[in-house]
Amino acid sequence: MATAAVARPAAKPQPRARDEEVLVWPDLVFIEFIAAMVFTLALFLLSFLMNAPLLDQANADVTPNPSKAPWYLLNLQELLLHMNAALAGVIVPSIWLVIMGAFPYFDRDNDGQGIWFGTENSIKLSIIGGLVGIVGTWFLILWDSGKLAFFLNDWFGFSGGDTFRFLENVRSIQTQLPWPEWSREITYSPWNIVIIGEDFQNLDFPGWLVEQGIPTGVMVAFPSLLIFALWRAGMIFTRRDAVVVLFSGFVGAYLVLTVVGTAFRGQGQELVFPWQLKVSEGIPGQH
Amino acid sequence: MAVETPAKPSLSDKLYDKMFHNYVWKSIFRTGYPNTPRNQMLIVATNVFLHLHPTRLHRTHVKVTHTYCLGGLSFFMFLGLTVTGILLMFYYVPSVERAYLDMQNIETTVQFGQLMRNMHRWMAHAMVILVFMHMMRVFYTGAYKPPREFNWVIGVILLVLTFLLSFTGYLLPWDQLAFWAITVGTNIAGAAPVLGPKSRFWLLGGFEVGPNALIRFYTLHVIGLPLLAAIFMAVHFWRIRRDGGLARPL
Ligand code: HEM
Repeated sequence: MATAAVARPAAKPQPRARDEEVLVWPDLVFIEFIAAMVFTLALFLLSFLMNAPLLDQANADVTPNPSKAPWYLLNLQELLLHMNAALAGVIVPSIWLVIMGAFPYFDRDNDGQGIWFGTENSIKLSIIGGLVGIVGTWFLILWDSGKLAFFLNDWFGFSGGDTFRFLENVRSIQTQLPWPEWSREITYSPWNIVIIGEDFQNLDFPGWLVEQGIPTGVMVAFPSLLIFALWRAGMIFTRRDAVVVLFSGFVGAYLVLTVVGTAFRGQGQELVFPWQLKVSEGIPGQH
Repeated sequence: MAVETPAKPSLSDKLYDKMFHNYVWKSIFRTGYPNTPRNQMLIVATNVFLHLHPTRLHRTHVKVTHTYCLGGLSFFMFLGLTVTGILLMFYYVPSVERAYLDMQNIETTVQFGQLMRNMHRWMAHAMVILVFMHMMRVFYTGAYKPPREFNWVIGVILLVLTFLLSFTGYLLPWDQLAFWAITVGTNIAGAAPVLGPKSRFWLLGGFEVGPNALIRFYTLHVIGLPLLAAIFMAVHFWRIRRDGGLARPL
Protein backbone atom coordinates (compact mmCIF):
# COMPACT_ATOMS: atom_id res chain seq x y z
CA MET A 1 0.00 0.00 0.00
CA ALA A 2 1.31 3.38 -0.93
CA THR A 3 0.46 4.97 2.41
CA ALA A 4 2.22 2.21 4.28
CA ALA A 5 5.38 2.94 2.33
CA VAL A 6 5.20 6.59 3.29
CA ALA A 7 4.50 5.83 6.93
CA ARG A 8 7.43 3.42 7.11
CA PRO A 9 9.31 4.12 10.35
CA ALA A 10 12.24 5.61 8.54
CA ALA A 11 13.59 7.60 11.45
CA LYS A 12 13.76 4.69 13.85
CA PRO A 13 17.27 4.28 15.21
CA GLN A 14 18.93 0.96 14.77
CA PRO A 15 18.71 -1.38 17.76
CA ARG A 16 21.95 -1.54 19.70
CA ALA A 17 24.11 -4.59 19.82
CA ARG A 18 25.35 -4.30 23.37
CA ASP A 19 27.64 -7.28 23.31
CA GLU A 20 29.52 -5.68 20.41
CA GLU A 21 30.13 -2.44 22.23
CA VAL A 22 33.25 -1.03 23.82
CA LEU A 23 33.67 1.79 26.28
CA VAL A 24 34.07 5.29 24.92
CA TRP A 25 36.54 6.02 27.68
CA PRO A 26 39.23 4.91 27.01
CA ASP A 27 38.76 3.35 23.55
CA LEU A 28 37.44 6.36 21.64
CA VAL A 29 38.64 9.24 23.78
CA PHE A 30 42.19 7.97 23.45
CA ILE A 31 42.02 7.96 19.64
CA GLU A 32 40.49 11.41 19.57
CA PHE A 33 43.22 12.67 21.84
CA ILE A 34 45.95 11.25 19.62
CA ALA A 35 44.33 12.67 16.47
CA ALA A 36 44.02 16.10 18.08
CA MET A 37 47.65 16.00 19.23
CA VAL A 38 48.94 14.92 15.83
CA PHE A 39 47.09 17.77 14.16
CA THR A 40 48.12 20.30 16.76
CA LEU A 41 51.77 19.37 16.40
CA ALA A 42 51.61 19.24 12.60
CA LEU A 43 49.98 22.66 12.45
CA PHE A 44 52.49 24.14 14.87
CA LEU A 45 55.29 22.73 12.76
CA LEU A 46 53.74 24.09 9.58
CA SER A 47 53.28 27.47 11.24
CA PHE A 48 56.93 27.60 12.22
CA LEU A 49 58.06 26.66 8.72
CA MET A 50 55.69 28.70 6.63
CA ASN A 51 54.28 32.16 7.14
CA ALA A 52 50.79 33.17 6.10
CA PRO A 53 51.02 35.45 3.06
CA LEU A 54 50.80 39.20 3.45
CA LEU A 55 51.28 41.23 0.29
CA ASP A 56 51.23 45.00 -0.16
CA GLN A 57 48.38 46.98 1.28
CA ALA A 58 45.11 46.72 -0.64
CA ASN A 59 45.00 49.13 -3.55
CA ALA A 60 41.96 49.39 -5.77
CA ASP A 61 44.07 51.03 -8.49
CA VAL A 62 46.55 48.21 -8.89
CA THR A 63 45.05 45.04 -10.31
CA PRO A 64 47.24 41.96 -10.02
CA ASN A 65 47.25 39.83 -13.13
CA PRO A 66 45.84 37.25 -12.68
CA SER A 67 43.44 38.18 -9.88
CA LYS A 68 42.20 35.07 -8.21
CA ALA A 69 39.52 34.17 -5.70
CA PRO A 70 40.49 32.02 -2.66
CA TRP A 71 41.60 28.58 -3.84
CA TYR A 72 38.40 26.76 -2.86
CA LEU A 73 36.45 29.08 -5.18
CA LEU A 74 38.85 28.73 -8.09
CA ASN A 75 36.79 25.84 -9.41
CA LEU A 76 33.98 28.33 -9.96
CA GLN A 77 36.35 30.91 -11.39
CA GLU A 78 37.55 28.24 -13.81
CA LEU A 79 33.97 27.40 -14.82
CA LEU A 80 33.42 31.11 -15.35
CA LEU A 81 35.92 31.08 -18.22
CA HIS A 82 33.82 28.63 -20.14
CA MET A 83 30.27 29.86 -19.79
CA ASN A 84 27.83 32.52 -18.74
CA ALA A 85 28.81 34.07 -15.41
CA ALA A 86 25.49 33.51 -13.68
CA LEU A 87 25.46 29.90 -14.78
CA ALA A 88 29.01 29.16 -13.63
CA GLY A 89 29.14 31.23 -10.50
CA VAL A 90 25.72 30.78 -9.00
CA ILE A 91 23.31 28.47 -10.78
CA VAL A 92 25.55 25.44 -11.21
CA PRO A 93 26.90 25.40 -7.63
CA SER A 94 23.44 26.06 -6.16
CA ILE A 95 21.82 23.31 -8.17
CA TRP A 96 24.64 20.94 -7.33
CA LEU A 97 24.25 21.62 -3.61
CA VAL A 98 20.55 20.89 -3.88
CA ILE A 99 21.18 17.69 -5.82
CA MET A 100 23.77 16.59 -3.30
CA GLY A 101 21.49 17.43 -0.38
CA ALA A 102 18.80 15.33 -2.03
CA PHE A 103 20.96 12.19 -2.33
CA PRO A 104 19.46 10.51 0.74
CA TYR A 105 15.94 11.19 -0.48
CA PHE A 106 16.69 9.60 -3.82
CA ASP A 107 18.73 6.67 -2.56
CA ARG A 108 16.71 5.39 0.40
CA ASP A 109 17.83 1.83 0.49
CA ASN A 110 19.77 0.68 3.55
CA ASP A 111 21.93 -1.51 1.38
CA GLY A 112 25.64 -0.90 1.87
CA GLN A 113 25.15 1.37 4.83
CA GLY A 114 27.86 1.88 7.38
CA ILE A 115 30.81 0.20 5.70
CA TRP A 116 33.26 1.52 3.16
CA PHE A 117 32.15 0.73 -0.38
CA GLY A 118 29.52 -1.60 0.99
CA THR A 119 27.67 -2.40 -2.21
CA GLU A 120 28.77 -4.64 -5.01
CA ASN A 121 30.84 -2.92 -7.71
CA SER A 122 31.01 0.32 -5.75
CA ILE A 123 34.81 0.53 -5.82
CA LYS A 124 34.79 -0.05 -9.56
CA LEU A 125 32.01 2.48 -10.06
CA SER A 126 33.80 5.07 -7.93
CA ILE A 127 36.98 4.67 -9.94
CA ILE A 128 35.15 4.89 -13.25
CA GLY A 129 33.15 7.92 -12.12
CA GLY A 130 36.23 9.62 -10.73
CA LEU A 131 38.36 8.95 -13.79
CA VAL A 132 35.68 10.11 -16.21
CA GLY A 133 35.30 13.24 -14.11
CA ILE A 134 39.03 13.92 -14.17
CA VAL A 135 39.74 13.06 -17.79
CA GLY A 136 36.51 14.55 -19.10
CA THR A 137 37.02 17.84 -17.32
CA TRP A 138 40.62 18.09 -18.50
CA PHE A 139 39.52 17.31 -22.03
CA LEU A 140 36.82 19.98 -22.00
CA ILE A 141 39.20 22.57 -20.55
CA LEU A 142 41.85 21.77 -23.14
CA TRP A 143 39.31 21.97 -25.91
CA ASP A 144 37.74 25.21 -24.82
CA SER A 145 41.09 26.90 -24.31
CA GLY A 146 41.95 26.03 -27.90
CA LYS A 147 44.85 23.83 -26.79
CA LEU A 148 43.38 20.73 -28.36
CA ALA A 149 43.29 22.29 -31.81
CA PHE A 150 46.75 23.67 -31.16
CA PHE A 151 48.18 20.26 -30.19
CA LEU A 152 46.51 18.54 -33.12
CA ASN A 153 47.98 21.07 -35.50
CA ASP A 154 51.40 21.51 -33.92
CA TRP A 155 52.17 17.96 -32.91
CA PHE A 156 50.28 15.87 -35.43
CA GLY A 157 49.88 18.24 -38.33
CA PHE A 158 46.10 17.94 -38.28
CA SER A 159 44.38 21.10 -39.19
CA GLY A 160 40.74 21.58 -39.98
CA GLY A 161 41.54 24.69 -41.97
CA ASP A 162 38.87 27.32 -42.10
CA THR A 163 36.06 24.81 -42.54
CA PHE A 164 36.43 23.38 -39.09
CA ARG A 165 37.64 26.50 -37.38
CA PHE A 166 34.30 26.68 -35.58
CA LEU A 167 35.29 23.59 -33.60
CA GLU A 168 38.39 25.20 -32.13
CA ASN A 169 36.62 26.05 -28.89
CA VAL A 170 33.11 26.80 -27.70
CA ARG A 171 33.21 30.49 -28.53
CA SER A 172 34.16 29.87 -32.15
CA ILE A 173 30.82 28.19 -32.72
CA GLN A 174 29.42 31.67 -32.29
CA THR A 175 32.13 33.56 -34.14
CA GLN A 176 33.16 31.20 -36.95
CA LEU A 177 29.81 30.00 -38.23
CA PRO A 178 27.79 32.05 -40.71
CA TRP A 179 24.84 32.70 -38.41
CA PRO A 180 22.09 34.62 -40.18
CA GLU A 181 21.64 38.14 -38.92
CA TRP A 182 18.13 37.53 -37.55
CA SER A 183 19.34 34.76 -35.28
CA ARG A 184 21.39 37.24 -33.34
CA GLU A 185 18.31 39.12 -32.29
CA ILE A 186 15.23 36.96 -31.89
CA THR A 187 12.39 38.83 -30.28
CA TYR A 188 10.54 36.45 -28.08
CA SER A 189 8.41 38.80 -26.09
CA PRO A 190 6.12 41.48 -27.50
CA TRP A 191 7.11 43.93 -24.78
CA ASN A 192 10.22 44.43 -22.77
CA ILE A 193 10.14 42.70 -19.41
CA VAL A 194 12.42 44.43 -16.96
CA ILE A 195 13.20 42.68 -13.70
CA ILE A 196 15.41 44.77 -11.41
CA GLY A 197 17.31 46.43 -14.20
CA GLU A 198 17.69 43.40 -16.44
CA ASP A 199 15.63 43.30 -19.60
CA PHE A 200 14.34 40.25 -21.36
CA GLN A 201 13.07 40.74 -24.87
CA ASN A 202 15.60 39.74 -27.46
CA LEU A 203 17.64 36.60 -27.70
CA ASP A 204 21.07 36.47 -29.26
CA PHE A 205 20.82 32.83 -30.22
CA PRO A 206 24.47 32.03 -31.06
CA GLY A 207 25.56 33.84 -27.92
CA TRP A 208 23.00 31.99 -25.85
CA LEU A 209 24.08 28.71 -27.41
CA VAL A 210 27.76 28.99 -26.54
CA GLU A 211 27.33 30.61 -23.17
CA GLN A 212 24.39 28.68 -21.82
CA GLY A 213 23.00 26.07 -24.16
CA ILE A 214 26.10 24.01 -24.83
CA PRO A 215 27.58 24.24 -21.31
CA THR A 216 24.26 23.24 -19.74
CA GLY A 217 23.88 20.47 -22.26
CA VAL A 218 27.34 19.15 -21.54
CA MET A 219 26.89 19.25 -17.78
CA VAL A 220 23.56 17.44 -17.97
CA ALA A 221 24.32 15.09 -20.83
CA PHE A 222 27.76 13.79 -19.82
CA PRO A 223 26.78 12.46 -16.39
CA SER A 224 23.46 11.15 -17.72
CA LEU A 225 25.16 9.37 -20.59
CA LEU A 226 27.76 7.88 -18.29
CA ILE A 227 25.12 6.53 -15.93
CA PHE A 228 23.03 5.28 -18.83
CA ALA A 229 25.99 3.53 -20.41
CA LEU A 230 27.00 1.86 -17.16
CA TRP A 231 23.42 0.77 -16.64
CA ARG A 232 23.31 -0.77 -20.11
CA ALA A 233 26.65 -2.39 -19.43
CA GLY A 234 25.09 -4.08 -16.42
CA MET A 235 27.20 -2.29 -13.83
CA ILE A 236 24.55 -0.04 -12.36
CA PHE A 237 21.61 -1.75 -10.70
CA THR A 238 20.48 0.40 -7.85
CA ARG A 239 20.03 4.07 -7.12
CA ARG A 240 23.02 3.84 -4.84
CA ASP A 241 25.14 2.76 -7.83
CA ALA A 242 23.98 5.74 -9.86
CA VAL A 243 24.65 8.14 -6.99
CA VAL A 244 28.12 6.66 -6.45
CA VAL A 245 29.01 7.35 -10.09
CA LEU A 246 27.56 10.84 -9.97
CA PHE A 247 29.31 11.80 -6.72
CA SER A 248 32.64 10.32 -7.81
CA GLY A 249 32.39 12.17 -11.10
CA PHE A 250 31.73 15.36 -9.18
CA VAL A 251 34.75 14.82 -6.94
CA GLY A 252 36.94 14.23 -10.00
CA ALA A 253 35.66 17.28 -11.86
CA TYR A 254 35.84 19.45 -8.73
CA LEU A 255 39.43 18.39 -8.17
CA VAL A 256 40.48 19.17 -11.73
CA LEU A 257 38.69 22.51 -11.81
CA THR A 258 40.28 23.54 -8.52
CA VAL A 259 43.77 22.43 -9.54
CA VAL A 260 43.56 24.03 -12.99
CA GLY A 261 42.17 27.26 -11.55
CA THR A 262 44.90 27.34 -8.92
CA ALA A 263 48.01 26.11 -10.67
CA PHE A 264 47.41 26.29 -14.41
CA ARG A 265 45.94 29.75 -14.93
CA GLY A 266 48.44 32.50 -15.59
CA GLN A 267 48.19 36.05 -16.78
CA GLY A 268 44.92 36.89 -18.46
CA GLN A 269 43.67 33.50 -17.19
CA GLU A 270 45.74 31.88 -19.96
CA LEU A 271 46.19 28.13 -19.56
CA VAL A 272 49.86 27.60 -18.71
CA PHE A 273 52.03 25.08 -16.89
CA PRO A 274 52.38 25.68 -13.17
CA TRP A 275 56.08 26.58 -13.51
CA GLN A 276 55.23 29.31 -16.01
CA LEU A 277 52.81 30.89 -13.62
CA LYS A 278 53.70 34.33 -12.38
CA VAL A 279 51.72 37.24 -11.09
CA SER A 280 52.37 40.76 -12.22
CA GLU A 281 51.04 43.76 -10.44
CA GLY A 282 48.95 45.94 -12.67
CA ILE A 283 50.00 49.43 -13.58
CA PRO A 284 48.29 51.97 -11.33
CA GLY A 285 45.14 53.36 -12.82
CA GLN A 286 44.96 50.67 -15.44
CA HIS A 287 42.44 47.89 -14.97
CA MET B 1 49.43 -20.80 60.39
CA ALA B 2 50.09 -17.39 59.22
CA VAL B 3 47.07 -15.22 59.11
CA GLU B 4 46.75 -13.28 55.88
CA THR B 5 46.94 -9.64 56.61
CA PRO B 6 45.89 -7.17 53.99
CA ALA B 7 48.89 -5.67 52.25
CA LYS B 8 49.77 -2.28 53.50
CA PRO B 9 48.76 0.48 51.09
CA SER B 10 51.78 1.39 49.03
CA LEU B 11 52.98 4.92 48.55
CA SER B 12 51.31 5.19 45.16
CA ASP B 13 48.03 3.97 46.62
CA LYS B 14 48.20 6.65 49.23
CA LEU B 15 49.03 9.26 46.66
CA TYR B 16 46.17 8.09 44.49
CA ASP B 17 43.79 8.33 47.44
CA LYS B 18 45.00 11.78 48.31
CA MET B 19 44.57 13.05 44.78
CA PHE B 20 41.29 11.55 43.70
CA HIS B 21 39.37 10.81 46.86
CA ASN B 22 39.46 14.18 48.45
CA TYR B 23 36.72 16.68 48.94
CA VAL B 24 37.84 19.17 46.28
CA TRP B 25 38.36 16.64 43.49
CA LYS B 26 35.01 15.08 44.16
CA SER B 27 33.35 18.46 44.03
CA ILE B 28 34.67 18.97 40.49
CA PHE B 29 34.48 15.44 39.10
CA ARG B 30 31.63 13.55 40.68
CA THR B 31 33.08 10.24 39.66
CA GLY B 32 36.30 8.68 40.86
CA TYR B 33 39.29 8.31 38.61
CA PRO B 34 38.17 6.48 35.44
CA ASN B 35 39.96 3.21 36.07
CA THR B 36 36.92 0.98 36.43
CA PRO B 37 34.21 0.41 33.79
CA ARG B 38 31.69 2.02 36.10
CA ASN B 39 33.71 5.18 36.51
CA GLN B 40 34.63 5.23 32.84
CA MET B 41 30.99 5.28 31.86
CA LEU B 42 30.11 7.77 34.54
CA ILE B 43 32.81 10.19 33.49
CA VAL B 44 31.51 10.25 29.92
CA ALA B 45 27.91 10.60 31.02
CA THR B 46 28.45 13.28 33.63
CA ASN B 47 30.93 15.53 31.84
CA VAL B 48 29.29 18.13 29.67
CA PHE B 49 31.97 17.91 26.97
CA LEU B 50 32.38 14.18 26.94
CA HIS B 51 28.67 13.50 26.97
CA LEU B 52 28.55 14.45 23.29
CA HIS B 53 29.57 10.81 23.13
CA PRO B 54 27.54 7.82 24.22
CA THR B 55 29.12 5.90 27.08
CA ARG B 56 29.64 2.84 24.92
CA LEU B 57 29.78 2.39 21.19
CA HIS B 58 30.02 -0.27 18.58
CA ARG B 59 33.45 -1.80 18.00
CA THR B 60 33.59 -0.95 14.31
CA HIS B 61 33.30 2.75 15.07
CA VAL B 62 36.42 3.03 17.19
CA LYS B 63 38.48 1.79 14.25
CA VAL B 64 40.36 4.78 12.91
CA THR B 65 39.83 3.55 9.36
CA HIS B 66 36.07 3.89 9.71
CA THR B 67 35.89 7.66 10.13
CA TYR B 68 39.56 8.68 10.00
CA CYS B 69 38.37 11.08 12.70
CA LEU B 70 37.52 13.52 9.94
CA GLY B 71 34.32 14.91 11.46
CA GLY B 72 35.95 15.17 14.86
CA LEU B 73 38.98 16.89 13.38
CA SER B 74 36.76 19.36 11.50
CA PHE B 75 35.23 20.24 14.83
CA PHE B 76 38.68 20.41 16.43
CA MET B 77 39.77 22.89 13.74
CA PHE B 78 36.68 24.95 14.49
CA LEU B 79 37.66 25.08 18.16
CA GLY B 80 41.28 25.91 17.38
CA LEU B 81 40.18 28.65 14.99
CA THR B 82 38.00 30.10 17.72
CA VAL B 83 40.92 30.24 20.15
CA THR B 84 43.46 31.72 17.72
CA GLY B 85 40.78 33.97 16.26
CA ILE B 86 39.98 35.49 19.64
CA LEU B 87 43.67 36.16 20.21
CA LEU B 88 43.92 37.87 16.83
CA MET B 89 40.89 40.00 17.66
CA PHE B 90 42.84 41.60 20.52
CA TYR B 91 45.11 43.29 18.01
CA TYR B 92 43.02 43.79 14.92
CA VAL B 93 40.70 46.68 14.12
CA PRO B 94 38.56 46.25 11.01
CA SER B 95 39.00 49.71 9.56
CA VAL B 96 40.61 50.48 6.24
CA GLU B 97 43.08 52.79 7.98
CA ARG B 98 44.21 50.25 10.55
CA ALA B 99 43.62 46.72 9.30
CA TYR B 100 46.80 46.34 7.27
CA LEU B 101 48.99 48.07 9.85
CA ASP B 102 47.53 45.84 12.54
CA MET B 103 48.44 42.81 10.47
CA GLN B 104 52.00 44.05 10.21
CA ASN B 105 52.06 44.69 13.93
CA ILE B 106 50.76 41.22 14.67
CA GLU B 107 53.60 39.82 12.60
CA THR B 108 56.38 41.99 13.95
CA THR B 109 55.68 43.36 17.42
CA VAL B 110 53.05 41.14 19.03
CA GLN B 111 54.51 38.24 21.03
CA PHE B 112 53.75 35.03 19.15
CA GLY B 113 51.61 37.13 16.81
CA GLN B 114 53.05 35.63 13.64
CA LEU B 115 52.55 32.17 15.11
CA MET B 116 48.92 32.91 15.98
CA ARG B 117 48.25 34.27 12.53
CA ASN B 118 49.92 31.30 10.83
CA MET B 119 48.00 28.84 12.98
CA HIS B 120 44.73 30.58 12.20
CA ARG B 121 45.44 30.60 8.48
CA TRP B 122 46.61 27.01 8.14
CA MET B 123 43.85 25.70 10.36
CA ALA B 124 41.31 27.45 8.16
CA HIS B 125 42.69 25.74 5.07
CA ALA B 126 42.83 22.45 6.95
CA MET B 127 39.21 22.79 8.00
CA VAL B 128 37.97 23.29 4.44
CA ILE B 129 39.87 20.21 3.30
CA LEU B 130 38.86 18.11 6.33
CA VAL B 131 35.17 18.95 5.98
CA PHE B 132 35.24 18.01 2.31
CA MET B 133 37.01 14.75 3.11
CA HIS B 134 34.55 14.06 5.93
CA MET B 135 31.75 14.44 3.41
CA MET B 136 33.49 11.94 1.13
CA ARG B 137 33.92 9.43 3.96
CA VAL B 138 30.24 9.78 4.91
CA PHE B 139 29.27 9.28 1.29
CA TYR B 140 31.44 6.25 0.60
CA THR B 141 30.37 4.54 3.82
CA GLY B 142 26.74 5.05 2.79
CA ALA B 143 26.13 6.82 6.09
CA TYR B 144 23.53 9.24 4.73
CA LYS B 145 20.95 6.49 4.36
CA PRO B 146 17.87 6.37 6.57
CA PRO B 147 17.48 7.46 9.29
CA ARG B 148 20.36 9.89 8.73
CA GLU B 149 18.96 11.71 5.68
CA PHE B 150 18.50 15.02 7.37
CA ASN B 151 21.88 14.97 9.07
CA TRP B 152 23.41 14.77 5.62
CA VAL B 153 21.43 17.89 4.67
CA ILE B 154 22.70 19.63 7.79
CA GLY B 155 26.15 18.53 6.69
CA VAL B 156 25.72 20.22 3.32
CA ILE B 157 24.74 23.41 5.14
CA LEU B 158 27.84 23.10 7.32
CA LEU B 159 29.96 22.71 4.19
CA VAL B 160 28.59 25.98 2.82
CA LEU B 161 29.08 27.69 6.18
CA THR B 162 32.68 26.49 6.28
CA PHE B 163 33.31 28.02 2.84
CA LEU B 164 31.66 31.26 3.91
CA LEU B 165 33.64 31.46 7.14
CA SER B 166 36.84 31.04 5.22
CA PHE B 167 35.78 33.49 2.52
CA THR B 168 34.83 36.27 4.93
CA GLY B 169 38.12 35.85 6.78
CA TYR B 170 40.09 36.17 3.56
CA LEU B 171 39.38 39.89 3.25
CA LEU B 172 40.51 40.89 6.72
CA PRO B 173 44.29 41.26 6.17
CA TRP B 174 43.40 44.02 3.71
CA ASP B 175 46.34 43.30 1.46
CA GLN B 176 46.32 42.93 -2.31
CA LEU B 177 45.63 39.20 -2.09
CA ALA B 178 42.63 39.78 0.16
CA PHE B 179 41.22 42.73 -1.74
CA TRP B 180 41.32 41.18 -5.18
CA ALA B 181 40.24 37.74 -4.11
CA ILE B 182 37.14 39.20 -2.53
CA THR B 183 36.58 41.45 -5.53
CA VAL B 184 36.67 38.41 -7.81
CA GLY B 185 34.65 36.31 -5.37
CA THR B 186 31.87 38.82 -4.92
CA ASN B 187 31.79 39.43 -8.66
CA ILE B 188 30.95 35.76 -8.99
CA ALA B 189 28.08 36.21 -6.54
CA GLY B 190 27.02 39.38 -8.34
CA ALA B 191 26.55 37.45 -11.55
CA ALA B 192 23.47 35.71 -10.19
CA PRO B 193 20.40 36.32 -12.34
CA VAL B 194 18.11 39.07 -11.13
CA LEU B 195 19.17 39.03 -7.46
CA GLY B 196 22.91 39.05 -8.07
CA PRO B 197 23.73 42.76 -8.15
CA LYS B 198 21.48 43.40 -5.16
CA SER B 199 23.00 40.65 -3.07
CA ARG B 200 26.50 41.79 -3.99
CA PHE B 201 25.61 45.32 -2.93
CA TRP B 202 24.17 44.00 0.29
CA LEU B 203 27.23 41.88 1.00
CA LEU B 204 29.71 44.68 0.30
CA GLY B 205 27.65 47.58 1.59
CA GLY B 206 28.43 49.35 -1.66
CA PHE B 207 29.45 48.76 -5.24
CA GLU B 208 33.07 48.06 -4.45
CA VAL B 209 35.14 46.41 -1.79
CA GLY B 210 35.72 49.20 0.72
CA PRO B 211 35.30 50.15 4.38
CA ASN B 212 31.71 48.91 4.53
CA ALA B 213 32.67 45.57 3.06
CA LEU B 214 35.47 45.22 5.59
CA ILE B 215 33.23 45.79 8.60
CA ARG B 216 30.53 43.50 7.20
CA PHE B 217 32.93 40.68 6.48
CA TYR B 218 34.51 41.14 9.90
CA THR B 219 31.18 40.98 11.71
CA LEU B 220 30.06 37.96 9.76
CA HIS B 221 33.44 36.32 10.27
CA VAL B 222 33.81 36.76 14.00
CA ILE B 223 30.25 36.41 15.20
CA GLY B 224 27.51 35.86 12.62
CA LEU B 225 28.81 32.80 10.82
CA PRO B 226 30.55 31.14 13.80
CA LEU B 227 27.28 31.38 15.71
CA LEU B 228 25.35 29.83 12.85
CA ALA B 229 27.97 27.13 12.39
CA ALA B 230 27.94 26.35 16.12
CA ILE B 231 24.17 25.99 16.07
CA PHE B 232 24.22 23.68 13.09
CA MET B 233 27.07 21.66 14.60
CA ALA B 234 25.07 21.26 17.80
CA VAL B 235 22.16 19.92 15.77
CA HIS B 236 24.54 17.73 13.74
CA PHE B 237 26.01 16.11 16.86
CA TRP B 238 22.66 15.81 18.61
CA ARG B 239 21.21 14.02 15.64
CA ILE B 240 24.09 11.59 15.41
CA ARG B 241 23.14 10.43 18.91
CA ARG B 242 19.39 10.48 18.17
CA ASP B 243 19.86 8.46 15.00
CA GLY B 244 21.45 5.70 17.04
CA GLY B 245 25.11 6.62 16.72
CA LEU B 246 27.12 6.17 13.58
CA ALA B 247 25.73 4.11 10.74
CA ARG B 248 26.52 0.42 10.63
CA PRO B 249 25.31 -2.38 8.39
CA LEU B 250 21.84 -3.63 9.20
C1 HEM C 1 31.79 21.88 10.02
C2 HEM C 1 31.58 20.77 9.43
C3 HEM C 1 31.30 19.43 10.07
C4 HEM C 1 31.59 18.94 11.33
C5 HEM C 1 32.32 19.65 12.45
C6 HEM C 1 31.10 17.59 11.37
C7 HEM C 1 31.24 16.73 12.47
C8 HEM C 1 30.86 15.40 12.46
C9 HEM C 1 31.26 14.42 13.44
C10 HEM C 1 32.20 14.68 14.63
C11 HEM C 1 30.69 13.24 13.11
C12 HEM C 1 30.90 11.90 13.83
C13 HEM C 1 31.58 10.88 12.95
C14 HEM C 1 32.82 11.31 12.24
O1 HEM C 1 33.70 11.93 12.86
O2 HEM C 1 32.90 11.06 11.04
C15 HEM C 1 29.88 13.48 11.93
C16 HEM C 1 29.08 12.54 11.31
C17 HEM C 1 28.31 12.79 10.19
N1 HEM C 1 28.42 13.88 9.36
FE1 HEM C 1 29.44 15.56 9.78
N2 HEM C 1 30.49 17.27 10.18
C18 HEM C 1 30.61 18.37 9.35
C19 HEM C 1 30.19 18.45 8.04
C20 HEM C 1 29.47 17.46 7.39
C21 HEM C 1 29.18 17.45 5.98
C22 HEM C 1 29.69 18.48 4.97
C23 HEM C 1 28.40 16.34 5.76
C24 HEM C 1 27.77 15.86 4.46
C25 HEM C 1 27.41 16.57 3.49
C26 HEM C 1 28.20 15.67 7.02
C27 HEM C 1 27.42 14.55 7.23
C28 HEM C 1 27.52 13.72 8.32
C29 HEM C 1 26.76 12.50 8.52
C30 HEM C 1 25.64 11.97 7.62
C31 HEM C 1 27.26 11.91 9.70
C32 HEM C 1 26.83 10.58 10.30
C33 HEM C 1 27.85 9.58 9.84
C34 HEM C 1 27.61 8.18 10.29
O3 HEM C 1 26.54 7.89 10.83
O4 HEM C 1 28.54 7.36 10.07
N3 HEM C 1 28.89 16.37 7.99
N4 HEM C 1 30.00 14.81 11.56
